[in-house]
Amino acid sequence: MSTLSPDQWQAVSPYLDQALDMPDEERKAWLMALGEQNPTLAAHLQKLLDEHRVLAQERYLEKGSVLLPGHAALVGQTIGAYTLLSPIGQGGMGTVWLAERSDGRFQRQVAVKFLSIGFAGGGERFKREGSIVGRLTHPHIAELLDAGVSSPGQPYLVLEYVDGDHIDRYCDQNKLDVAARIRLFLDVLDAVAHAHAHLIVHRDIKPSNVLVRNDGQVKLLDFGIAKLLEGEGHAGAITQLTREGGGALTPEYAAPEQVTGGPVTTATDVYSLGVLLYVLLTGEHPAGKGTHTPADLVKALVDTEPPRLSDVVSPARANAEETTTNAARRTTAPDKLSRLLRGDLDTIVGKALKKKPQERYASVTALADDLGRYLRHEPISARPDTIAYRAGKFVRRNRAAVALAALAVLASGAGIVSTLIQARTARTQRDFAFRQLTHAEAINDLDNFLLTDAAPSGKPFTVNELLGRAERLVERQHDLNDVNHIQLLISIGRKYQGQDQDASARRVLEQAYELSRRVTDQSARAQASCALGSALSTGGDPKRAETLIQEGLRDLSDEPQFVLDRIFCLARGGEVARDSGQSSEAVARAQVAQKLVEKSPLRSDVLESHTLIDLAESYRVNGQLREAVATFERASAQLASLGRDDTEQAGTLFNNWALALLQSGRVLEAETIFRRAIDISRADKTVEAVSPTMLNNYAVTLRELARLPEAADYAERAYATAQAAGDEVAINQSLLMRARIYRDKHDLARSDAMLAQVEPRLRRNLPAGHYAFGSLASERSLNALAKGDIPVAMRLGDQAVAIDEASIKGGGEGAVPLRLLLIRRSTIELAARRPNDAAADAARALRLLLAATEPGTFSSITGRAYLALANALEAQGKHNEARAAARSAAEQLQNALGLDHPETRAARQLAEADTLPQ
Amino acid sequence: MDSTISSLIGAAERGDRSASETLFSALYSELHRMAKRELARHGVPVSLGATTLLHQAYLDIAARDGPSFPDRARFMGYASHVMRGLIIDHARSRHAQKRGGRFEITSIGTDAGENVVDDRELTQISEALDELAKMDRSLAEVVDLKFFCGFSFAEIAAMRGVSERTVQRKWDKARIYLHHSIRPNLSL
Repeated sequence: MSTLSPDQWQAVSPYLDQALDMPDEERKAWLMALGEQNPTLAAHLQKLLDEHRVLAQERYLEKGSVLLPGHAALVGQTIGAYTLLSPIGQGGMGTVWLAERSDGRFQRQVAVKFLSIGFAGGGERFKREGSIVGRLTHPHIAELLDAGVSSPGQPYLVLEYVDGDHIDRYCDQNKLDVAARIRLFLDVLDAVAHAHAHLIVHRDIKPSNVLVRNDGQVKLLDFGIAKLLEGEGHAGAITQLTREGGGALTPEYAAPEQVTGGPVTTATDVYSLGVLLYVLLTGEHPAGKGTHTPADLVKALVDTEPPRLSDVVSPARANAEETTTNAARRTTAPDKLSRLLRGDLDTIVGKALKKKPQERYASVTALADDLGRYLRHEPISARPDTIAYRAGKFVRRNRAAVALAALAVLASGAGIVSTLIQARTARTQRDFAFRQLTHAEAINDLDNFLLTDAAPSGKPFTVNELLGRAERLVERQHDLNDVNHIQLLISIGRKYQGQDQDASARRVLEQAYELSRRVTDQSARAQASCALGSALSTGGDPKRAETLIQEGLRDLSDEPQFVLDRIFCLARGGEVARDSGQSSEAVARAQVAQKLVEKSPLRSDVLESHTLIDLAESYRVNGQLREAVATFERASAQLASLGRDDTEQAGTLFNNWALALLQSGRVLEAETIFRRAIDISRADKTVEAVSPTMLNNYAVTLRELARLPEAADYAERAYATAQAAGDEVAINQSLLMRARIYRDKHDLARSDAMLAQVEPRLRRNLPAGHYAFGSLASERSLNALAKGDIPVAMRLGDQAVAIDEASIKGGGEGAVPLRLLLIRRSTIELAARRPNDAAADAARALRLLLAATEPGTFSSITGRAYLALANALEAQGKHNEARAAARSAAEQLQNALGLDHPETRAARQLAEADTLPQ
Repeated sequence: MDSTISSLIGAAERGDRSASETLFSALYSELHRMAKRELARHGVPVSLGATTLLHQAYLDIAARDGPSFPDRARFMGYASHVMRGLIIDHARSRHAQKRGGRFEITSIGTDAGENVVDDRELTQISEALDELAKMDRSLAEVVDLKFFCGFSFAEIAAMRGVSERTVQRKWDKARIYLHHSIRPNLSL
């Protein structure tokens, strides 16, 4: 069949949308059902979906296209003594050309590699180092013939041209068995050992750097290039990042110390060789199958023990087809391969892949010796893992968090380096980049230091203990200049704050602030005051907090080099404004910060996700729920693309996002996201470790969904956890929640008692006239209504609305609750036989709701407003209008709460009721 | 005539056809100029990703046009379409005169010769996309952003303010359509 005509496409398009959103199993049944109604359509659809499967497998069009300037124009140009012939490769490091000597002295073809990195200092050092590496001659090392810098400042390398394939592909294509693979690998080890003997570490061993020619000869590429690139003012790890194509970190073959920023030694190459051997023997990467985000890989690298070789290839594994293929490529069957790898090879690879460099093979030669012994069936030197070794796992678990933080810093560092290279125009920009780089290194140092110097050896420790040690060490370091000292104190203080250690955070940040008054550095001054402001805001000194924020913002001039500091201060300022109820100011600050991030050349995904989360929460607190939900969605997509959607930060994001959905009446969606939030924060812990606020929010959601027993259960847990933690706000919230649940059970005496407990607590913590008192009155009115005491219910209902309206009028919060208070009052008015008032309140709530909801979304609150309106209209005798309103109510409620929800059923009943005779 | 990119985008959004044509050619020459500038600066081949080029164009134009400049997402919507034109035109001119087009289209893959998209196929994709855009603009836009400009699903989702799942579905759908137009005789 040929091109789909517009008519055909329009006909099939909505079905495709549905089908593509379904899991496979579901789709099958759905297609079958469709086939009974419309066999032609179903058959057509089936064909398109089959096609889709093939296209997805082929990854059709997924490689994308890229502009590569001037290839053709360069053919025939000379670089040094070489003439360029044709482009042969394009990688993260740059373009590779096939070339030959121009002077015709040798008939030798070479590879010229242009590095996509610039050198500010003319590359003198690059040339000098190049000549040293050039002396490395070994039959298995591709010779570096020359290195230089072309006239526009582009560094290039001239290398021996190797016409070969990546080692893993070579082994697979030639179906080498395990022994043959190990023999080939021993050649690789021989080459690496030779380089180590000359004090050169490769740092980047991976299949694309280990080629095998048709004659079976192994050649290692790019020896010592990483080292060549170093020393131009970049730290090693940052270089590592920039050379991988401008910021995309692919640490698949990196050792843990390369991502945590530890020293790179020969043991680093031992680790990478271990990964390579793992892949050669099993066909799988130690971190498992599938694509990994850099963050996943780093996490796996730092704290996950790779599965044993023999387990990975075992026929017991889920993916039988793949294990069979992998075994066949090694001319064997899965069970046989598993037996071959079990024991010595498990142990050898395990030792090469130890997280701690000192636990790995002491040298590449030692690794080669053990592999030689294995081939000769002699006992190997490495011993299998012991239980004691596994006990060290706890420590490593704690390291992952720190390493991820380091990765974030490094990733933004990488962005900075490439900006520096691209935007060489303005001097200020360059200075700025250097300054940021130094700062990034200082933070990185702190993380390193937390991992090594401050970590007590051999016993478990908490992050707080670490921070305490860090604080004392920083105090004793007198050689620190003031600005660095301030920066380190701010880092420690902020980490304390992240651990909810508010008192310690305030102590350290006060110290940083005091020191900062003695320096003129704008950035240090501003950061110190804004960080302290943020810490004081939660600690009950909102006035001083606000003053500090304004002081910090004033300290910063408008020059672009302070943009990150300004963003930092605006973010802290947003927190302070939110804490003190100035929610529109919080929105304004977050918006400015977000604009700055978007415009900044230093924009990074990490920075952007922080700013978005801030902005979204400010919107939420300010009652701009539509904007809040949309922004939370963006932030969540951002976090997911960074591979950080299972972090604590994501947990908080999901909680706030779900809350915004709940407040918008999008209850079913809220439920899903709350569950994700809870799952994240209870990972590895019990449900008691989840914050009481989150538990209570979830209880509210479950109650909305009429899942009462579960709601009651979560509310009790929330209350218990809140009391244990002494969390005042959460205690109040869970008391209110319990009051509602007792009311649901018609235990009104207990419900009243709960409300009576809340009142004095609110009076202690909130200013008079706060909208929360309105909500409390409204709860009481519902209790009165349940008791049949309509006059009291009416009085309390009026009081609730009045308090809330006064709060809004005074510039405070309360806009979102008002809608609910009006709907409740409408119900009371109906019971009081005041249908006109009931209709007016319901209509008013509806107007407010419709103005605030996104078209096309459904809301339980809007549904309730319609239902209240329908009931009121019915009481007024306007049956047709009542039925229309009830239909709208049913539509809203069934989408927001589900088809079987009691309120949905009530609305449907009213909508379908026969018109009564007038 | 006031012909800053921002004012052109404004006019195009108000439905001014000639403005949208002017906008297309203005953005085209802008991107072309930037690609040439990159080439001149380096002198030797460096990979120049479409994404990078677009981001740089955004920063450049936004800095020049000032605060009235539209947000990134809107800009990328227009620019990604123009980028497709730029890529196709270079592919065609290279096809026509073997000796010296200034750009070459290649895949992002790390090895030469792998997955190079045939310039004839590119042209076909572009024509099919124009057809698709008449029926569902948003589908064609996802292809422009992903295939021609190299944005990830997550980035496109963020730009368009929809979920990643939605972008993925649009991509899957568009791909089925394109495949039908380009390789109609492929047997399955």
